[in-house]
Amino acid sequence: MEIKTSTKSGSTIIEIIGSLDGNTVNEAQEKIMPMITSNNVSMVLDMKGCGYVSSAGLRLLLMAAKQLSVQNGVLVLSGLSDEIKDVMEMTGFNNFFKTFESVASALETLRKGA
Amino acid sequence: MFRVDLHPTHVCDCGKFRLRMGQPLPFGATIVPGGVNFSVYSHAAISCKLALFNKHEKKPFCVIPFKDEFRIGNVFTMIVFDLDFENLEYGFHMDGPFDEKEGHRFDKTKILMDPYSKSIGGRDVWGETPDWDDLYQHRSRIVFDDFDWENDHPLETPVEDLIFYEMHVRGFSKHSSSGIKHPGTFAGIKEKIDYLKELGVNCVELMPIHEFDEFENSRVSPATGKMLMNYWGYSNVGFFAPKAGLAATGKFGMQVDECKTLIRELHKNGIEVILDVVFNHTAEGNEKGPYISYRGIDNKTYYLLTPEGYYFNFSGCGNTLNCNNPIVRSMILDCLRYWASDYHVDGFRFDLATILGRDQNGAPMSSPPLLETLAFDPILGKCKLIAEAWDAGGLYQVGSFPSWGRWAEWNGKYRDDLRKFLKGEPGMVGAMSQRLQGSPDLYRWEDRGACASVNFITAHDGFTLYDMVSYNQKHNEANGENNGDGSNDNYSWNCGVEGETDDPEINRLRLKQMKNAAAMLLVSQGTPMILAGDEMANTQWGNNNAYCQDNEISWIDWSHLEKNKEIFNFFCKMIAYRKAHPVLRSRTHFLNKDYKGSGFADITWHGVEAWNADWSPQSRTLAFMLCGMHAKGGTCDDNSVYVAMNMHWDAHSFKIPKLPDYMSWFLFVNTDAKSPNDICAPGKEKKIKNQSEFLLGPRSVVILTGKDNK
Repeated sequence: MEIKTSTKSGSTIIEIIGSLDGNTVNEAQEKIMPMITSNNVSMVLDMKGCGYVSSAGLRLLLMAAKQLSVQNGVLVLSGLSDEIKDVMEMTGFNNFFKTFESVASALETLRKGA
Repeated sequence: MFRVDLHPTHVCDCGKFRLRMGQPLPFGATIVPGGVNFSVYSHAAISCKLALFNKHEKKPFCVIPFKDEFRIGNVFTMIVFDLDFENLEYGFHMDGPFDEKEGHRFDKTKILMDPYSKSIGGRDVWGETPDWDDLYQHRSRIVFDDFDWENDHPLETPVEDLIFYEMHVRGFSKHSSSGIKHPGTFAGIKEKIDYLKELGVNCVELMPIHEFDEFENSRVSPATGKMLMNYWGYSNVGFFAPKAGLAATGKFGMQVDECKTLIRELHKNGIEVILDVVFNHTAEGNEKGPYISYRGIDNKTYYLLTPEGYYFNFSGCGNTLNCNNPIVRSMILDCLRYWASDYHVDGFRFDLATILGRDQNGAPMSSPPLLETLAFDPILGKCKLIAEAWDAGGLYQVGSFPSWGRWAEWNGKYRDDLRKFLKGEPGMVGAMSQRLQGSPDLYRWEDRGACASVNFITAHDGFTLYDMVSYNQKHNEANGENNGDGSNDNYSWNCGVEGETDDPEINRLRLKQMKNAAAMLLVSQGTPMILAGDEMANTQWGNNNAYCQDNEISWIDWSHLEKNKEIFNFFCKMIAYRKAHPVLRSRTHFLNKDYKGSGFADITWHGVEAWNADWSPQSRTLAFMLCGMHAKGGTCDDNSVYVAMNMHWDAHSFKIPKLPDYMSWFLFVNTDAKSPNDICAPGKEKKIKNQSEFLLGPRSVVILTGKDNK
């Protein structure tokens, strides 16, 4: 797994490439959580290069989103595969997230303040 | 805070994993900072090893003996650090005596599943043929015990207000006609929540969802030549794990989250969840059965054994769990507490529950400690506890199951009496008067209330409602037992022809009989239970024991919904009527007197003549009136309800009790009338012209609502 970060239109974009599972989740956590240190952060997790998210991975996403939410920030997901979207829905992880087809559409919505 | 007792103190022999002595409680595998705490009990084992596997791999990547200093009392416990527990499967090797007469069957070559496994691999996808060469078939896994419940809480709906709906997770939506994305799974039920709401039921009772082995059946279907399955699942592999094969995400090992999500979403929609739990035996069978867990961990603790060391078979399934052994009792309590607190389930229905009241020699006890413990347990304090009050060893306790005011029962007498009355058997009027008021003859002596009675006409075990009015005999040939399995006492009537027919008169009568049954069930005091699919006249083609039929025989065919709209509409409106009228939902039994000064007792009995029911042996007519001012023990005001039942083959005119001048009778149901005049929306009843008499057609039910003139 590889994580790339960038900033665009005031949002942090985190691209996850590879599987987010028990083997990689600690590394991902160490990279993502320190970015949630200040208030009002908006974050887009770009998942188009991520083929598999395990239970541990979904928990990391939820934890990050909740942490951001209490700090008046927001985390959205983009580029999820149909299978991951489906798994998230069946296992109840979808309720907390807004998801977008692409980073551009996510940024557009964040720009409008949604 | 930093803890000083979470440092590794040892290293395993291969040098890969650091260890320390663990905590004996809780049993099972628990995630702790930096590692996993393993703890397992065995009274007679002399040593134990922990085998660690990567998921799906045949050979362990490490086997770690519990060092002598890691044992406390009869518990082996150890923390293993640095494990990737998401990809982990584990099991135990137990060493100890093999002495059948003494009840010991240790075999240290076997890999044994943890009795406290919260997740079990090996049957991840339903029906996918396992690797039979794998020595470890049912594999313990570790789960995340966190879940985003979003402030969910068990609903605690008063039991008298519930309408149970018994379903099989797979059978409910597996059929190709279900029209959903994830048929046959927990996620599939979630997709059907709107349907459940439209029907109006507010509690689903799920047939076994604990891990079982669908391949635990060696018979071949004579009908199809295919292997039969253990489809129902009344045979536990593990008690703490939801069955992976019932989850669409089981292949990803996420069945725990999927099951919890279903429960959370059902709760959001006002629907409770009751689990059908099977504590009477396990899937290990008798002496010839496999080593899965219990037999190899501590045979003498877990099973009831004869003096010669053989297995007692009160369950009819090869072995009997030793429920009143203190260790097993604790395991059952731990299990139920786990499901109540971690899964937010609202209650439990106990399969063959009388076994839970047998002592260690198999004899029935007067105050079984397990049943008493469950009745008074603080965590289970608001859970519904429902017993199937009989077992395969001949102990039948309907009406006498030890209850401490907490236990309800599947009322088998309700089912039998109602079926006999419905088919027109003579001599049933007296019994029916008891069944309709929550069986006071069975439950009043101990003041258990009307809701000690779970009223049902059909359940998974036996005919569906449609089959009950379409078959005189069971047709279980496809089960591969020469039609010898399943009950012969069905009290069913085919209305003239065995099975499917084009005869419109017979089909009309069958439809009416189904409506009669639904009407009587939903106006009875006690808690009603509907078998999933009955509301659309689902058929099993006369198979009354479809435990092994993982196919169209047992799957609900949703195309019936369109074909049989009339019966579905009838069920929906009957359920709505029950919900609208508290007079139908008394928690306590009637007092048979007027304690509100309304001029009517809480319940009064009538027949062809008002105030004069015909109790003679040949009578097949009965009517009763519930006084609205006495609703729920006089604590709330409701309309009055009059129900007339004519189970005779001729029409009869019924004289109706006269209401005070400011009130009239309004027609809600007449099963003899053709749709849409058979039933109306509750509250939209039309005033009947003749307020003193009503002509009931042959074999029909009429329900009138007594309310203010408008």
